[in-house]
Amino acid sequence: MLRSAKLRLVVGLAALCALASWPLVMSSPYDLRLFTLAGVFAILAIGYQFIFGYVGELSLSQGAFFGFSAYVTGILAAKAGLDFAETFLASIVACVLLAVLISIPVLRLASHYFALATLGVGQVLLLLAIDWQSLTGGAIGLSGVPLPKLFGVQIGRGWPLLLFVWSFVLFAAIVAHQTKRGLYGLACHVVRQNAVAARALAIDPDAIRFAMFLLSAAIAGVAGALHAHTIRIVSPEGLDFKVMIACLTMAVIGGRTHVWGAVAGALLVVHLPEWLRGFEQSYVIITSSVLILILILAPEGLAGFVDRILPVATPERTSTVAASSRPSNLPAGEGVLMPSETPILAIRHLTKTFGGVHALNNVSFSLMRGSITAVIGPNGSGKTTLVNCMTGIYRADAGEIVLGGNEITSMSSDEIAARGVGRTFQNLRLVEDMSVLDNVAVARFRSEEASLGKAMLTGRRDSRLERARSHALHVLRQFGLDKIADARCGSLPHGIKRLVEIARAICLDPVVLLLDEPAAGLNESEQAELAGHLEGLAARGLTLLVIEHNMEFLKSLATHMVCLDYGELIASGRPSAIYQDERVVEAYIGRRHAAELGA
Amino acid sequence: MTQLLLNTLSLGAAYSLLAIGFVLVLNATGAVNLAHGSFVVVGGFLAASLGAMLKLPGAIVLPVVLSGMMLIGGLLSLAAYYPLRNRPAVSVFISTISMGAILETATLLVFGPSPRVGPPILSGGSLRVGDAVLNVQSLSTIVLAIALVALQYVIFSRTVLGKRLRAVAEDREMATALGVNVNVMILITFGISAALAGAAGLIFANTFYITPGDGEAYMIKTYVAATMGGWGSLRGAVAGAFLVAAFEVLVPSLPVILPWAVGALPSFGALFSPTASTIWLYLAFLVVLFFRPQGLFGEAVQQRA
Repeated sequence: MLRSAKLRLVVGLAALCALASWPLVMSSPYDLRLFTLAGVFAILAIGYQFIFGYVGELSLSQGAFFGFSAYVTGILAAKAGLDFAETFLASIVACVLLAVLISIPVLRLASHYFALATLGVGQVLLLLAIDWQSLTGGAIGLSGVPLPKLFGVQIGRGWPLLLFVWSFVLFAAIVAHQTKRGLYGLACHVVRQNAVAARALAIDPDAIRFAMFLLSAAIAGVAGALHAHTIRIVSPEGLDFKVMIACLTMAVIGGRTHVWGAVAGALLVVHLPEWLRGFEQSYVIITSSVLILILILAPEGLAGFVDRILPVATPERTSTVAASSRPSNLPAGEGVLMPSETPILAIRHLTKTFGGVHALNNVSFSLMRGSITAVIGPNGSGKTTLVNCMTGIYRADAGEIVLGGNEITSMSSDEIAARGVGRTFQNLRLVEDMSVLDNVAVARFRSEEASLGKAMLTGRRDSRLERARSHALHVLRQFGLDKIADARCGSLPHGIKRLVEIARAICLDPVVLLLDEPAAGLNESEQAELAGHLEGLAARGLTLLVIEHNMEFLKSLATHMVCLDYGELIASGRPSAIYQDERVVEAYIGRRHAAELGA
Repeated sequence: MTQLLLNTLSLGAAYSLLAIGFVLVLNATGAVNLAHGSFVVVGGFLAASLGAMLKLPGAIVLPVVLSGMMLIGGLLSLAAYYPLRNRPAVSVFISTISMGAILETATLLVFGPSPRVGPPILSGGSLRVGDAVLNVQSLSTIVLAIALVALQYVIFSRTVLGKRLRAVAEDREMATALGVNVNVMILITFGISAALAGAAGLIFANTFYITPGDGEAYMIKTYVAATMGGWGSLRGAVAGAFLVAAFEVLVPSLPVILPWAVGALPSFGALFSPTASTIWLYLAFLVVLFFRPQGLFGEAVQQRA
């Protein structure tokens, strides 16, 4: 591990030196211009990684933002004669506004809609640019875009412009690094891998996608404006879909989430047509074929390949975190609280229909603080629908859900989670390629009030992330999982994953925890261990709702039981009473059998 | 007026071919084929060069175009879909975008950048029925489209192959369990889809003209049609195709239909140029998407959970 870390450092430094010496060696005006253009495209690709890499949405409008910004710069600088500071700012603002406009209808929709709807933006802009001749110069475009002039200093072509552009590459890289490294970056990762899990952890994926889309657009705006100043002309070519394909190629070849991958991708893609000049126009065929090959053979790109041969050394987090102070807001001690008679969560007349079928029909019951309530019922009786209604995944048609006096019936999943309803999933929803510690720590996103703005302003140490990890480690310790805090979730056995998911929900500091078939797939000793943990949680005042088939598991665990059948609540009471209830027995083994048993 | 209606119908018929092919692949693979627009370009250029070389009408050239496109569609599925079938859908999006770029660049290299005009399906003249003068190309487009859609329908609903194809689209795992070779079926679906798009290319190459860079525009119209009608529904795709055609034909002719509006508003003409009609279509599409994400006629699409 240590050797690989050292090697990474050496390779990284060597790559930086190579990058710096590139324009020193290839220093003809033409080469310098190419290197400057590579910088422009590196900015574009780094910007693209926000939406495409960090939250994994295939946006096809990055090229459109780029071309749009170039036009704004071109028109304002060449026609209106505004100076650099004004045109630059206006270009970025225009891109962000355009992004807001696009994202309102499409950002919430599934990925294919997003891809294709964003593809349309570029086409519309391209048509406008060609058609609106009086403003855009039509197919020929606008020439005479001046070189940038900042604080009265004219940036000359050649080296000054090159350094000017590459300083923006550095700026974009810093923005990307700040976004990625902290608690906000972890939340992005969860949104990309599992948006439903993100919502259950009180993270709003739409808000994060929106922020990333705008940031992508803003940085495309930077790149577009610089492009106009570099090539001194704006034309419909900047809006051509080829720009988008080039940008996508850079991001995929370099690696979707690595900043330096974007830079390497941009250098390659800009210089490839020069190196392959013998092939003339067919270089598009070559780059596109390379792109498909990389997708097939190395989906993580160049950066992923480097990570594979020189893995990132995981720092000994556990010890450093353990040394930090104990979070103050954890419930103190192991005190035993008896279940109270105060309802903490009340469900009243809840009804949900799917096309005429009552999945839930007028269901009412309450959860008492510190109780463990089990919901039982045959397959298709509406148990999972109940959890989905309670957590805002479905919206109930009638009735209400009241949490501690506040109605939560029509809130979104992440709002409900933020109010204190944690949940686990029947088919686990952990982020496989993240460590156990980070999977759990990300639940602190809301409590730590992480945001993009704050992520930008963090210094060398991200105290929010440290606090979140230390809190997560404490929770993991309660479940005896602190030994595997640094392990990747994907490598864990099923039973352990169930515990990690419960730990993650606990890290949210919920008042009510909903467990959807927690014992499924566990062997008997694991079940006993799980029951022990759940009883401990209830004893400390947490209210639990367990959906389960496994009667053996529930027998000693549940303090209260409700039984659903065909969406109706048919029995509610102490477990011993439920097991004797005629209607429950009927629901489980059928009417005739029940009658025979009774006889 | 009759001619306007006929134009709308024939354009809608041609777009239907595109939209049906797109939805067939969508249903079979769950993936969006972003090279679908490029099929139109390749088909159009094939038809144009064959027509110019052999001096034959489109209807005779059609079988060659169809079989050529089938081959290209099958090859595309082998290169861009098959190796990535178990990866996230985004990978297939990207690989089909790249395939589209490859197809269009190859067309550019083989046929050159200049626009081509394809042969008419039967002849270029017009027909006089009573008072109305009817364009033969428009009429034969409608007939050809109906014939091809009928053929596709017969293949899918009346043959064993069609049953297998539909089984794969319905439930891939179940189809595998029943011994259907899913990969071959998907390859055939891509082939049929490309053939339909190639036929549309043959039509467009004569009705308009075709250039190697036309792929994206056709891609977007196909997509708008498929979405407006309801994602994944064949009937919806046809309905959406006619809606797109109506926009494209009727919006630019509004100044002609409503001359008083041009008098009242001098810029009225500019607002309804052919270019503007594409922009209006896209804006209308965004509005539809905002208020009815399930499409105008379609079943609910999968929203993010």
